[in-house]
Amino acid sequence: MHAYLNTRVSLFAGRLWQPADYAALLDADEAGVAAVLTDRGLPQLATGFAGRDSRSLEQILIAQLINETNVLIRPLSGDQRNFLLFWTGRFEISNVKTLLRGKMTGERPAALLSRLTPMGAFGRLDMQELAHTEDMHELFRRLEAGPYASIVRPAQRVFAETHDSFLLDAALDRGFYEGLEQRALPLESAAGASFRRLMGALIDRINLVWLLRYRFNYGLPPAQVYYLLMASRYSLPGAQLRRLAALDSLEAVLAELPEQLHDQLQGVTGIAEVYNRLERAAAEDARKVLHSGAPAISRAFAYLLLRWRELRSVRAVLRGRHLDLPTAKIHLAMYDASAGRA
Amino acid sequence: MFRADPLVKIRLHVLASEAADAALVLAHFGVYSPAQHAPEELSENPAEAYRETWLEVESRTAKLAEHCSISSPPKLPEGAEAPTLDDLEKLNDWLKEALSCCLAAYAGETRIAEEIKHLDALQETLAKLEHLNVDLAYLLRPDGLLAVNIGSVPAGSLKRLGEALSMAGFLVSTFDTVSDQAYAVVAGPRDRHEEVRGLLAQAGWREMPIPPELRTHPQAAREWLIEERKRVAERSQVECRILDETRSRYRSGLDEARQVVELARPLAEAALLGVRGRGTLASLSGWIPRRRVAKLKTDLEARFHGHFWLDIEPAKPEEAAATPSLVHYPAWLTPFVPLVRSYGIPRYGEFDPTLPFAFTYLLLFGAMFGDIGHGGVIVILAALLSKRLGKVAWIGIAAGFVSMLFGLLYGSIFGFEDVIAPVWLSPLHNPTHMLTIAVTFGVGFITLAMLVNIRNRLFSGRVHEALFDSGGLAGLAFYIGAVGSIANLAGATTIAAPFWVLASAGLIAVAIFKWVETRAGFGERALVATIETLETGTNLFANTLSFMRVAAFSLNHVALALAVFALASGLDSVGHWLTITLGNVVIIVLEGGIVAIQALRLMYYEGFSRFFSGDGIPFIPLKLMDAK
Repeated sequence: MHAYLNTRVSLFAGRLWQPADYAALLDADEAGVAAVLTDRGLPQLATGFAGRDSRSLEQILIAQLINETNVLIRPLSGDQRNFLLFWTGRFEISNVKTLLRGKMTGERPAALLSRLTPMGAFGRLDMQELAHTEDMHELFRRLEAGPYASIVRPAQRVFAETHDSFLLDAALDRGFYEGLEQRALPLESAAGASFRRLMGALIDRINLVWLLRYRFNYGLPPAQVYYLLMASRYSLPGAQLRRLAALDSLEAVLAELPEQLHDQLQGVTGIAEVYNRLERAAAEDARKVLHSGAPAISRAFAYLLLRWRELRSVRAVLRGRHLDLPTAKIHLAMYDASAGRA
Repeated sequence: MFRADPLVKIRLHVLASEAADAALVLAHFGVYSPAQHAPEELSENPAEAYRETWLEVESRTAKLAEHCSISSPPKLPEGAEAPTLDDLEKLNDWLKEALSCCLAAYAGETRIAEEIKHLDALQETLAKLEHLNVDLAYLLRPDGLLAVNIGSVPAGSLKRLGEALSMAGFLVSTFDTVSDQAYAVVAGPRDRHEEVRGLLAQAGWREMPIPPELRTHPQAAREWLIEERKRVAERSQVECRILDETRSRYRSGLDEARQVVELARPLAEAALLGVRGRGTLASLSGWIPRRRVAKLKTDLEARFHGHFWLDIEPAKPEEAAATPSLVHYPAWLTPFVPLVRSYGIPRYGEFDPTLPFAFTYLLLFGAMFGDIGHGGVIVILAALLSKRLGKVAWIGIAAGFVSMLFGLLYGSIFGFEDVIAPVWLSPLHNPTHMLTIAVTFGVGFITLAMLVNIRNRLFSGRVHEALFDSGGLAGLAFYIGAVGSIANLAGATTIAAPFWVLASAGLIAVAIFKWVETRAGFGERALVATIETLETGTNLFANTLSFMRVAAFSLNHVALALAVFALASGLDSVGHWLTITLGNVVIIVLEGGIVAIQALRLMYYEGFSRFFSGDGIPFIPLKLMDAK
């Protein structure tokens, strides 16, 4: 089983894009873009990419990732399978957010359905049924009876009390990542340090950036900021997060970070840059795990993290080309895209 | 029965405004399967908006019907016309309003239920607050230094909430837990109260309104609760009346809505695949049986009086993969259809194996499980469970009868071999004979399967494969030659040379075909051709021997019975018959199940896999009522 997964991951890893591939995509003329995409293993994008709207492009990229995840989970069972299935479920949570927002604005089911990401074999929700619900209440009622009940229930309660879509999204995100942490726990003891490193980088990054955004962009009080963060067991545990949330400036927070994070964020001046630096460092870590003799599940997870980062960069290039942006700006967009929320 | 009905491709052109009626006529017609083969110039989908609105109407109607507890299918009036998009949109608006009224009435009822629950909780809380030994009026006074909240929060959030509250100098103290809700008091400095409001909302904190009545002496609070309950009960009656009135107000309109949903269903369903158009023209495309063309024309003429255009084109063999298969089966054969379908659907034009499957399956089952008594038990059980098992019971009954027939031929009843004389032979006393018969049957079975394969390939235009492939004429020649040669070596026939020549010629033809078909370099080509040719021989040899299991299981049946008798023989009279009874139950359940699976396995792997691609498309007719 592990030999199969290891081989599969190694084959997939060989397909990951190198800087020269992005350069080729940037430099190709209109007629050559399809060939570059096909040569680099993304033939689905090559077909009519130019005419597609950004939503369809996103859907194709997610479909690609879902297909590859499907191949990787085939030999897995138990905790490992549950973890990767749940990790892919983030796209479905994103669909849930779209549905909820659509219901808030009274969008028609057909329009709403067209904006959802097809989940293929990973779909656990009946999107047709959910899109045809009458209002938020019915939608929540159906979601609470579904597979994401544990994520949706607290979010529903928050929404009922506040009617605030921002807090609703925050509750859904927090519910998802806490669910992911729970599912990662048995794997961390089985797969060891490599898996813990990947999870730690992911959760610490998200927690730190949420903390900074909630505290300094949205001006929320420290106690509420702390509550919105995930309970973490990595470099930034609860006590540390409480201390950081109580600080008054970005600089003060950065100064109080544990040594490793502090070193990674030397000279940073803005929250976006914090994310970019941490994201790059996490990608570097993932690459090391992928090319190491780490357990197969760690390598598979590392591959999926890197692949999604890569697909977002490709999307940035294609969008940039579509909008006739100068190459320098596309480079910047790629940088931002690859640093988008994992 | 042996192959699908010949189909024709139709394209029905009508005015876009009459598309819904055209779809209704096609649904009434009963054997029209929508498919996408409209001409390219008809690039629009005129029924898209119709389908979208219909989906909303259907969903709302189903919810309203569920709300009004209506489940029987609606009755459609004779000659009813399909609704227009405009009709559907109006109905959709009406349904939206009706549903919101019903949901509001339902919400009223739900609110009452929640209030009752709340009062229950309040009563319990009161009991708990009494134990707090705190004067609530004092604790909750607005001019105190402490800001206090009393309420509930999901128990899972409590720890984190406590940690977060401590950052603002607040404390949380739980005084009760009901299911997953923790009831708690939150207290802290009043000047920092604003800081924690957002946090409490984020944590799903539900403030417990402590009415003035509850901030008094417990006895007075209890009296207030009793009064509250009376008030809620009165309101509950009012809400029930409102709910009943709402239901009866919308019931008649709902009946009409359900009819409209069904009348609009054909176009809405067809819109997925078979409706294209341009401007004011709509074209419905799909498949119908050739023999029903005249009937369709008559139906269309009766409805549209010549205002339509019907293109008809026969199905082409090269389009077989995209043509649906419509096969009619006599009622007695239908129980076997799911067993064939679980392997696959016959491709259009392909030989449908259901009839030979039914006979051969029963024959194999009977041969492997021949026993008058056991067969009789299966017949009785299947008959008794016929209501629960449905059509599958008929397979059980038939299999039981065939088992009884073979029991008679083998002279076996409940495992006893000496009660009646075998009409034909006893497997236990003639094992070699049984094995020979089983292998001979296998040879005949495989030969027939290969002949059907040759016919299927010829039909689909794959002439070279039909002639030279391992499953084609060349493979069959090799097989017959090889079987004949082995029979000669075994002394069963004196003819030798013709069989050797036939086998060699067949094998060489297969090898040449594999060589020609393989697109690769010399080495790989040689390797592929050699291995695949060898595989032809080994596979056919193994497949033929596979039929020995028929004889093996008939022997196994007797051997199991002997084992039961051996166990029973050492016991007293009661134990003896008890062991024999239980032993027979085990044989029927265990061996019966194994034999049923083995017979199916032989049919699938030695039969179907030779000629049956099973990748056909089912003919799904457009129906007036939801097939679900």
